[in-house]
Amino acid sequence: MATLSEAAPVRSGQPRRSFSSALLTGLLLLPASLWYLILLVVPLAIVLVMSFGRASRIGGYEPGFTLENYGQAFERSTPFITSLVLATSGTILCLLAALPLAYFIATRGGRRKSLLIVLLIVPFWTSFLIRTYAWLTLLGPDGLAGFIGDVVGDSGFRILGTPVAVLIGVVYGYLPLMVFPIYVTMERMDRTLIEASKDLGAGRWATFRQVTLPITLPGLITGSILVFIPLMGEYVIPAILGYGRVFLVGNQLVLQFLEARNWPEGAARAVVLILIMLISVVFYLWFASRGRRTREISVL
Amino acid sequence: MAEHEIDRAIRRMAHAPLSRRGFLWAGTMSASAAFLTACTGGGTSSTTAPAASAGAGASSAAIPADIEKQLFMYNWGDYVDPKNIDAFKAKFGIDKFTYDTFASNDELLTKLQGGAVGQWDVSAPTGEFVPAMREQGFIQKLDLSRIPNAKYIEKAFKGVWWDPTDEWQVPKDWGTTGIVVRSKIVKEEVKTWKQFFEVAPTYSGRIVLVDSPGDVFVAPLKALGYSLNSTVESELEEARALLLGLAPHVLALDSDQYNTKIETEEAVLGLVWTGGILELRDKPETADVVYVIPQDGTLYWLDTWVVLAEAPHPNAAHAFINFIHEPEVQARETEWNTYATPNSEAKKFIDPRILNDPAIFVPDDVLAKLEGAQDTSTNPQRLDIWEEFKSKIGQA
Amino acid sequence: MSAPATSVARAPEGASGVDVAHGGVRQKKDRVGSLVEGWLRGHAVLIYAFLYIPIVVVVVFSFNATDRRVTQWEGFSLKWYESVLNDTVVQGALANSLIVATSTAVIATIFGTMAALGLQRAPRWFRAPFEALTFISIIVPEIVIALATLVFFSSTFDILNSLLDLKLRLGFQTIIAAHALFNISLVMLLVRARLSGMDRTHVEASYDLYGTPWRTFWQITFPQLLPAIIAGSLLSFTFSFDDYVITTFVSGAGSTTLPLYVFSTIRKGVTPATNAVAAVMLLITLSILLIGQIAVWRNARRSGQHGAQASVAGMITEQSG
Repeated sequence: MATLSEAAPVRSGQPRRSFSSALLTGLLLLPASLWYLILLVVPLAIVLVMSFGRASRIGGYEPGFTLENYGQAFERSTPFITSLVLATSGTILCLLAALPLAYFIATRGGRRKSLLIVLLIVPFWTSFLIRTYAWLTLLGPDGLAGFIGDVVGDSGFRILGTPVAVLIGVVYGYLPLMVFPIYVTMERMDRTLIEASKDLGAGRWATFRQVTLPITLPGLITGSILVFIPLMGEYVIPAILGYGRVFLVGNQLVLQFLEARNWPEGAARAVVLILIMLISVVFYLWFASRGRRTREISVL
Repeated sequence: MAEHEIDRAIRRMAHAPLSRRGFLWAGTMSASAAFLTACTGGGTSSTTAPAASAGAGASSAAIPADIEKQLFMYNWGDYVDPKNIDAFKAKFGIDKFTYDTFASNDELLTKLQGGAVGQWDVSAPTGEFVPAMREQGFIQKLDLSRIPNAKYIEKAFKGVWWDPTDEWQVPKDWGTTGIVVRSKIVKEEVKTWKQFFEVAPTYSGRIVLVDSPGDVFVAPLKALGYSLNSTVESELEEARALLLGLAPHVLALDSDQYNTKIETEEAVLGLVWTGGILELRDKPETADVVYVIPQDGTLYWLDTWVVLAEAPHPNAAHAFINFIHEPEVQARETEWNTYATPNSEAKKFIDPRILNDPAIFVPDDVLAKLEGAQDTSTNPQRLDIWEEFKSKIGQA
Repeated sequence: MSAPATSVARAPEGASGVDVAHGGVRQKKDRVGSLVEGWLRGHAVLIYAFLYIPIVVVVVFSFNATDRRVTQWEGFSLKWYESVLNDTVVQGALANSLIVATSTAVIATIFGTMAALGLQRAPRWFRAPFEALTFISIIVPEIVIALATLVFFSSTFDILNSLLDLKLRLGFQTIIAAHALFNISLVMLLVRARLSGMDRTHVEASYDLYGTPWRTFWQITFPQLLPAIIAGSLLSFTFSFDDYVITTFVSGAGSTTLPLYVFSTIRKGVTPATNAVAAVMLLITLSILLIGQIAVWRNARRSGQHGAQASVAGMITEQSG
């Protein structure tokens, strides 16, 4: 499969492949593998088993074998499409906000680089819910919407309850997940490389495109995955800032697992969702890494 | 049956003219001080509360020796007065009292269904969730000999359908789902769910509803004259039509911030819980806020104390439930969280301004129409309607 | 940062050095250059403002004297702080959150970094499924993994407790273990992004000079990875600190964290007390950062480093040269 490892080829000439080297590799991977096995593979197996079962009369799960739940999973695809639109636009906006910022910190941050990075994360040490409610105040009729309404002369002007409010909340909540991966790759970039490129007569844009971007690409890929995927399951921000007007995949799952307590149906929907997402990620990585390889050769 | 008894109970409670809620701190403080000396000193201070505290004093005189030194509570957030918890700890020598929180009945039930049994001692689900918890073995039968104060529970709250024998839960407090109106903007009369639907288009985009299907279904079903617990297909389809007609006019589904929306006049009409709305009436700029308990009937909810199955400290759990229903303690609870108490004896100690608030204690003419909820959350048709309704909110 | 051995010596930090070197040649491009500089700077200022404005709102309104509505200013008061600081439930929740978040960050950072390092040495047959799992751990909707994990924990505990007469319960361990899953993957992806283009010339040189793998790692590889490692630990701390869904499901008696508390109280609406809780959270995490910072300063002074350059945050960027 096309994975990050191919996007990031380990150069040949690995030192001394021997027994002790293999042992070290094994030891390095052991804790994470255990975690995946016990807390991911086993629970996923539980979900898979559940998805073929039935809901008991008072909810929960009853053993059984039926494919009915999967039939249900494909009904009502509107929430999926809405989620897809939200996740895509949210990811693009995060990218637009994060790229120049990460570039600024990495190349112009100087000694304050570290401070700037920590300052990015500090707002997240409050509570997600409280931060989101703060936006409710800021964008509300006493806040920005009221101000714009006064300026435009439209007293009914609203931001809350519109997709704009949801997108603001989404960018706010997910920005660090985009900035950090881009930053860690960009920071590695050597200024000398840029200067070399400029000395060779490359323009600013060409330098960015030929030098900065290829080096940053793994960060861009990681960042967009880290933002896009959780966004697909997001439902709290739309509920608060979107006034509950949007019904997303996340809402659907919560409704099925919590309110309706129909675990089998929820499980089937989750399995389908996981498969779709996994395939998209693999495809995305394959696509992105293809582009990268050719560039890498041309630059380095 | 239950409605009828509630009717009578509340007729009894609702007497004097109303005033606004407000804490008579001095009164509360002196009552609690008296109470504290009464139970910590073990002495009888019969000056403040003759009959009741004699009873309470008698029960507290004999603290059973087998009360565990710990108690693990699983409850809604901020739902027990911390001062009462402290008093309980002091009285029974509890070293460790943990208070963990859940945000909804669904969360509580799902968590227990997931296997988190034997973690906590005492909890407070809403009444209609008690049967499911009992059937699945999540709660234990109460040892009523350890809860003598259960005798103070009003008749209306006894033998309700979710616990006909009153052996599985002790009522905690109760409230209603109703209509909130900014009367300075909404001039039409809105006294019923029917009128609510009629005026809705006039205030399109200024209507807020709590994000809870069990409550939202009350409006169409009651407007149509059906039971709010209806699972009859044709009735629900009629309800669907009403709800889908309402959807384009709705500003927001919001269970947490509806009172802010009402306060800022962003919303002027709403389907809400008693909770925060009552406080709005207090302020001059929002004095026009009216909380209406619809005349065509509405929902009342009752939260209940239960002892969870495999509770690590069952005796302490029973002791707590008994303690919280000591009349003075219960009165303090009511003053603290401003929900109506089912404890008749406690009313003697409650600040009259709270006791006489008609939004807490329902006016006579609609009493008979109150209906307790049943757990209809797994009904597929309701879910389908709810999903469709939700996806059409605010979309013309 | 360390420049490749083959490249020219490191250019001085900041644009000035460069401008001096190329001053004459660049005259024409300077207009565009300063425009770009201005735009970059302005963008950064805007983003920081965007991130901090809600925080300012939260902190300011936590001092509001009002009894109820948060957003209507009724005078300055510390009463909400007093009530929060006297509230043992809030204090317990805050302590729980810190325990959970710190442990998760430590576990996720160490194991995630190890996995990233191990993975580039691993054979292909292992890598593919491992990476698939990494992505699945991020893809799985929280509520699904939360419920399945609870089912797994409680049934396993039931069996173990009755077989081995143990007293395993839901609590901190289960919360931390469940949080670690997502965060191990997160750290791993960050470290791998950094590793992906890492310059191996130094590593090779070290091996050529007969450096042991251990020394090579600590002297060459680790410093190069440090920014990603620290970014990863910051993010995992943050996510664990603020997690709601998973925590709700796998928490036990006495392990309610702040997000759980906040969610359960907010149905009464946001009060200044809720804001005060958030402000206190901010204060505590910031002071931990500051204490760490002071410790590093002292350390640096003792070892004769320049105080200004050494900082906790500094470790993110400043690497051994």
